[in-house]
Amino acid sequence: MFETSLTAADFLFLAKGAGMTIIVTAISVVIGTILGILFGVIRVQLGAILSAPLTFFLDIFRSVPLLIQLVLANAFLGMVLKLQLSGFFVACMVLSLYTSAYCAEIVRGGIDAVPATTRRAARSLGMTWVQDMRHIVMPLATRVALPSWIGLALGVMKDSALVYVVQVTELLKSTQILITRLQEPLFLLLICGAFYFIISFPLARFGGYLEKRWSND
Amino acid sequence: MKKSALTAGVIAAACIAGAAHADKLDDIIGSGKLRCAVVLDFPPMGMRDDKNEPIGFDVDYCNDLAAALGVTAEIVETPFPERIPALMSGRVDVGVASTSDTLERAKTVGFTVPYFAFEMAVTANNETGIASYEDMKGHTVGAVAGTYEAIALEAQVNEWGDGTFRPYQTQADVFLALSQGQLDATVSTSTVAQATVNSGNFDGISVVGKAPFDTDYVALFTNRNEYGLLNYLDLFVNQQVRTGRYAELYEKWVGGDLPSLVVPDVYR
Amino acid sequence: MFDYTFQWNQALARLPRMLDGAVVTLEVAVLSMLIGIVFAMILTLMRLSDSRPLKAIAATWIEIARNTPALLQIYMAHFGVASFGIHFSPFTSLLIGITFNNAGYLAENFRGALKAIPDTQARAGRSLGMSSLQSFRYIIVPQMLRISFLPMTNQMVWAVLMTSLGVTVGMNTDLYGVTQDLNALTFRTFELFAIAAVIFYIITKIITLGARLIASRLFRY
Repeated sequence: MFETSLTAADFLFLAKGAGMTIIVTAISVVIGTILGILFGVIRVQLGAILSAPLTFFLDIFRSVPLLIQLVLANAFLGMVLKLQLSGFFVACMVLSLYTSAYCAEIVRGGIDAVPATTRRAARSLGMTWVQDMRHIVMPLATRVALPSWIGLALGVMKDSALVYVVQVTELLKSTQILITRLQEPLFLLLICGAFYFIISFPLARFGGYLEKRWSND
Repeated sequence: MKKSALTAGVIAAACIAGAAHADKLDDIIGSGKLRCAVVLDFPPMGMRDDKNEPIGFDVDYCNDLAAALGVTAEIVETPFPERIPALMSGRVDVGVASTSDTLERAKTVGFTVPYFAFEMAVTANNETGIASYEDMKGHTVGAVAGTYEAIALEAQVNEWGDGTFRPYQTQADVFLALSQGQLDATVSTSTVAQATVNSGNFDGISVVGKAPFDTDYVALFTNRNEYGLLNYLDLFVNQQVRTGRYAELYEKWVGGDLPSLVVPDVYR
Repeated sequence: MFDYTFQWNQALARLPRMLDGAVVTLEVAVLSMLIGIVFAMILTLMRLSDSRPLKAIAATWIEIARNTPALLQIYMAHFGVASFGIHFSPFTSLLIGITFNNAGYLAENFRGALKAIPDTQARAGRSLGMSSLQSFRYIIVPQMLRISFLPMTNQMVWAVLMTSLGVTVGMNTDLYGVTQDLNALTFRTFELFAIAAVIFYIITKIITLGARLIASRLFRY
């Protein structure tokens, strides 16, 4: 169907880009999730008023385009603070905070979904706060939060396509570089799209399956 | 004994002071690495070979500069809009990126004397029948966002009051849009236009004439307060012409009449 | 160490142009939402239909919209489809890209909302003498929109944020495009994008607060 001048070396070039997409996503999701759990628990524990500054800070990451977050962080850290940071570092940092902002919401929703009576029962059985969190809240909240979290992780992978602005050559940027040389936009874009789809679709399905299974009992 | 301790102390202090006062030129020589911002979708100044390695006039120019400094060159690909941010954030040392030396930009970065000069050419999609600069009136035209030619062309379209101007983020996107018929014509540097049309990658486009814009002098750039480095770069550009290396590189990548780097009737 | 000089006046002088850009950004977002909702309804109906091809088309649309980057979808709407000789202006390409994305996500939300509405309600409508389309239109759709109101608000915020991707297809009249143009002209990157960020923040806040207000009016019962 397609006649292409794509060589094996070009495929390797695309694979490198795909590897970069996966690495940036993995780092950001891991750090973002740890921070997100921390921020989520802090917000629940402190209550709306005391945690307002944190809420405001996290809200920024959900209200400003990621592209602008990346450009601003890059300009601020490099031009203003004169820190010698690689584009890769800036990309991972911004994406981690971006992830944590959404993750904190998911965690908060999960904790709120655990009935207060259940938690009181745990405490009246003599459990400490930590025990209550570890043995009661975590298992119950995870059921509510995990499907959304899978959606978030996949969202971060798709959004990582924007880190090209801080000179990180990920999958979509690699594709554009090849389009420049080979002039086969449709074919190359389809390959690129297929890659995202192959990773995202099964995991999204799995998330949907978990959601269905866990909400039925 | 006491005297030698004192001397050692003075030497140590001098070393620390020396290190603290090292400028960018020293930093580059010290690190053994010169990082150049180069635009790689701008043939023949910067592009990629079929192994996706950077090549082109600007790439060679950066390599020459690194050789003169006795360090190794590192090519950092930067799209047009990211050239200055890449410098300001310390990701590159010098821009060898076909950058027009406008006064607006000189408020932010320091430019050397010109190292290359572009003429502007009109490239059109053959189906539109556009055969000259004036023919573009009323058509959809485009150029690379933020470049010298884009700013001039947008002003012209506004003056005509007819037609549409579209900026794309990269030179590649401009020619892609042109060959797809999304743009009717574009103004770009004549070297880029010739190289792109001759590459045979794009069907149905051809260079149809000159654009009556002033010669676009482009310069190397670095941080505007790095006088030591700027001086060195000025001399380097001068030496490239004097030794015939400029003519050699021009013949290798572009060919034809060598553009003069001297602006008539004025110093610097 | 910190020798960067902020030049806010250089950037603030360009504020009027940026505000014009904000209007275009809102325009694209609102249009993409309205058209997106219509397409999401159609996709939902196609999914509910008994026709296999219709189901397959709807599923393909929804899964592609949800499982590939929005930037790729917008790029495809401009440079991809042009390979077939179909040309869209940057504005239209951006609108198509975001609408495609909106419709996919909204259709998925609608499906979730439909599950929450008991079958008996549609049957009750039918037994009152309504046609199946009528019972869908008057009984199911209003509840569906109500249940998915919050996800719709989120999608609207997303649509605003996604307009920033228009620069990749030659858009320079929206807020991000204007900011990028000014940046290329003056290189005051930090100041210009900081102002753009504030404008985006205000827009999204107006949307979420406005939605809350509408919700409290509409869904009082």
